[in-house]
Amino acid sequence: METFSLLAQGFAVALTPLNIALLLLGCFSGTLIGALPGLGPVNGVAILIPLTFAFGFDATSSLILLSAVYFGCMYGGRISSILLNIPGDEPAVMTTLDGYPMAQQGRAADALAISGVASFFGATVAVIGLTLFAPMLARMAIYFGPADYFALYILAFVTIGGIAGVDPRKTLLSALIGLMIATAGLDPISGIPRYTFDNYHLYDGVDAIVALVGLFAISEILMLLEKAARDRAAPIGLDSWLPDFRQIWKTRWAVLRGSVVGFVAGVLPGAGASLGSVMSYSMEKQASDKHGTFGKGDPRGVAAPEAGNNAASGGALIPMLSLGVPGSGTTAVMLAMLISLNVQPGPLLFERQPDLVWGLVASLYLGNVALLILNLPMIGLFSRLMMVPTWALMPIVAAVSFVGVFSISNSVFDLELMIIFGVLGYLLRKLDVSLVPLVLGLLLGGDMERNLRRAMSISDGDWGVLMASPISVTLYVLTTAFLGLSVWLALRDRKRQQARVTEG
Amino acid sequence: MKILAPTSAVFGMAMALGLSAGAPASAAECIAPSNPGGGWDFTCRTIGRILTELDLVDGNVQVTNMPGGVGAVTYAMVVNERPDDPELIVATSTVGITQIAQGRYPAPVDAVRYLAMLGADVGVIAVDDDSPIQSLDELTEIMANDPGSIVTAGSSGAGGWDHIRLLMVAREGGLNTLGDLRWVQFDGGTDAVTQMMGGQIDVVSTDMGEIAGFVDSGDIRILAALSDEPIPAFPDIPTAQSQGIDVTGYNWRGLYTGGEVSDAEYDQWVSDLETLYNSENWQTAAVEFGLVPIWRGGADFEAYVREQEKVMADISRDIGVIE
Amino acid sequence: MTVRLAGVAIFMIAALYTWYGRDYTASFGDVLGPSVFPMIVGIPAMILAASLVVFPSGQVSWPPRDHMLRQVAALAILAGYAWLLLPLGFPLATFGLIAGLGIVLGGAPLKAVALGAVLAPGLWALFDQVLGLPLAVLGRWFG
Repeated sequence: METFSLLAQGFAVALTPLNIALLLLGCFSGTLIGALPGLGPVNGVAILIPLTFAFGFDATSSLILLSAVYFGCMYGGRISSILLNIPGDEPAVMTTLDGYPMAQQGRAADALAISGVASFFGATVAVIGLTLFAPMLARMAIYFGPADYFALYILAFVTIGGIAGVDPRKTLLSALIGLMIATAGLDPISGIPRYTFDNYHLYDGVDAIVALVGLFAISEILMLLEKAARDRAAPIGLDSWLPDFRQIWKTRWAVLRGSVVGFVAGVLPGAGASLGSVMSYSMEKQASDKHGTFGKGDPRGVAAPEAGNNAASGGALIPMLSLGVPGSGTTAVMLAMLISLNVQPGPLLFERQPDLVWGLVASLYLGNVALLILNLPMIGLFSRLMMVPTWALMPIVAAVSFVGVFSISNSVFDLELMIIFGVLGYLLRKLDVSLVPLVLGLLLGGDMERNLRRAMSISDGDWGVLMASPISVTLYVLTTAFLGLSVWLALRDRKRQQARVTEG
Repeated sequence: MKILAPTSAVFGMAMALGLSAGAPASAAECIAPSNPGGGWDFTCRTIGRILTELDLVDGNVQVTNMPGGVGAVTYAMVVNERPDDPELIVATSTVGITQIAQGRYPAPVDAVRYLAMLGADVGVIAVDDDSPIQSLDELTEIMANDPGSIVTAGSSGAGGWDHIRLLMVAREGGLNTLGDLRWVQFDGGTDAVTQMMGGQIDVVSTDMGEIAGFVDSGDIRILAALSDEPIPAFPDIPTAQSQGIDVTGYNWRGLYTGGEVSDAEYDQWVSDLETLYNSENWQTAAVEFGLVPIWRGGADFEAYVREQEKVMADISRDIGVIE
Repeated sequence: MTVRLAGVAIFMIAALYTWYGRDYTASFGDVLGPSVFPMIVGIPAMILAASLVVFPSGQVSWPPRDHMLRQVAALAILAGYAWLLLPLGFPLATFGLIAGLGIVLGGAPLKAVALGAVLAPGLWALFDQVLGLPLAVLGRWFG
């Protein structure tokens, strides 16, 4: 159990007064930055990196500060998901599904607390998994080939079907629209431009953040404008500033399941935190949505994806540290952090710099602890955001989103695109089409297509390659089982409903 | 590349912050035609910093990111709006020239003036450590006689630089029907290497910098370095030339300026950049970023770029990437 | 009716998408080619959209006309911001955005203008000075 003693050492190094102070500072400023729509973990870490150089912190202290900021930003992103229905970063999309309805019902404090506690437990599971299995899992992840990734994405999209919405056709259509948007831009395999209409600005495809802010923030403004007729600018009430801890305890199984699913999704390079939170949410819905409460403010619908997302971020460290493959935006930020500290991840990192690896693991964990300690008492403060009248809050949100996007790309075209996405998001919401599958299609579509084409190139055009490995066959069996279960559950519910109708 | 963008953003902004602390006045501007981070951004930010450190410009060099179309957006802007601006320099590399050769930029290669290359990442051909292929000779023989039996891969798409330099090796080695060789694109050199370790593919052609860790650990074997001289950090790896295959495949980093900049101003830039190249600052920074410092400047470099563009266009035409 | 119309619109878009996608020819070295995936996506999208036309589901209630006007006004303000950001410079454009949206969203005009006047310079300071992401104070029109 050498790894445990190494981890213990990591904690010992991390726990000095300076580092604890940095931890708290990082979590706090990270939460604030992350809560601004349009600014996510990437920007938060970027803003603080120069600070670590300016003060001349050593590698461990810098890592601690940056991980604290990173997790702070992720948590901050949840705040805007839950309170404003605007996801701060990609994995936070799933949190809007049940978090925002909870806030609208006056349970914002509960939702924020559940998000914090679930994230903490997700991170705990990830740290335990990392400590026990890291080297073994890294070696196994290598054997995941293009055909297996394609099967994994198929599974992800089938589970999306169960996520949201009244009409499954609309959910599927939404995912397909996302996939269509994902194909726009220079095709990385053949190099030819697709759906760019000779506009060079579209050559790099549609930036996920631009789409996300447009779809959610701008469409929200349009929704509010039509509602304002009926209940004029009345701020949403708040039942309590204090979270109800019995509610949190009720989500314990959702948290556990979400953590395990998320961790597994995270270990696969390329899958990352978005997939982790999607899978955890839809698995949880499948497992425990007996009364159709998911999507209407079910606490478990906040707990599962939050636990899954943090467990996945932890799990994703394994391929990132041992292979140097930044599988997702999440790990890419971490990779940049390490490189800026002159650490080159790769196959020899665990042997050459074990103190650094375990220092990182320890500081990630401490970041989560600090967030929990810091943010539970602050929930009351954040919830008060709900009391700001709409006419003041939404213009600020719009301004911050626009500035956030423009300050990074210097592109007016991105702003125009954002407005177009806002109108699209509004129309789809009016039609009862959930936006979440669209975003997932946009996020995962490129990888899905590329892996299909890679598999076909390797097999020289033989479609059999898709079913040739035991991994992909297992995934297809899972997909089929999942589909079967969904259909069976739907049929059963319909029968019950009919029975109820005939009885009544 | 999408995945790398956030990484890049972190870096770029970090560096931008570092720079913005100084005096706001700037006498020169360097455009990185990409998101912050990565090769082009590194070129601008590092060269900008060192130009200031060596007092070759007044004040700071302002670095602007203008992503879009693998540099096409910036190229169009320079050609149309600022062709005679002597204070503007733009980062480019082999990747940009490949795009021009395949007609994916809005103007031809001679629409701008190329200043200099200051360093390069070296292309390598790698196989898994337990691959039966032991030498470049064995590989070229398989490629020439039974190209369908192996799967090759790298970090560029079909017709991209990783692919083209492998095809140059294959053609030197006697393969005439280049289309028979299978090619798989991955998002980065590291991705390609891990897929090779997992047994999905047989050969990887990519830049050395990114995959050096796997050579150290013994997970992969480098058959050849596509450089004139062995790579300083890996003197034991033979060059392709030393094995009878006369191919070099650098991914160089350099700069261009507007097409109507006067000769005097152009020469001034070239001589400033040469001073920069010879400084300790650049030699250290380049090596830290995994580059081999290499100098080509002025007319010499212009000729080199045109020649490279022609070779790439020929190969692209041969393999059917362009008409 | 709205759902049917939307179905028709999505069908048309998916059909155009599929039609365009057909022409992306497989270049050398890429077995499946760039046009197969758009087909895999576009054709089911056409079928699903067509099914929405034939069997629509759900009801859509559009807002009354004066609210639609407000929505159009909000979009005009957002678009105006995008187009005037560079000519006007950052703080001025942002002031217009916040004040304009505030009024459209039903805030008292004076309060909305005050909010814009406080926040526009505040946001500029936050991004440009604190976060180090450069934003021009004065735009093209001011030299």
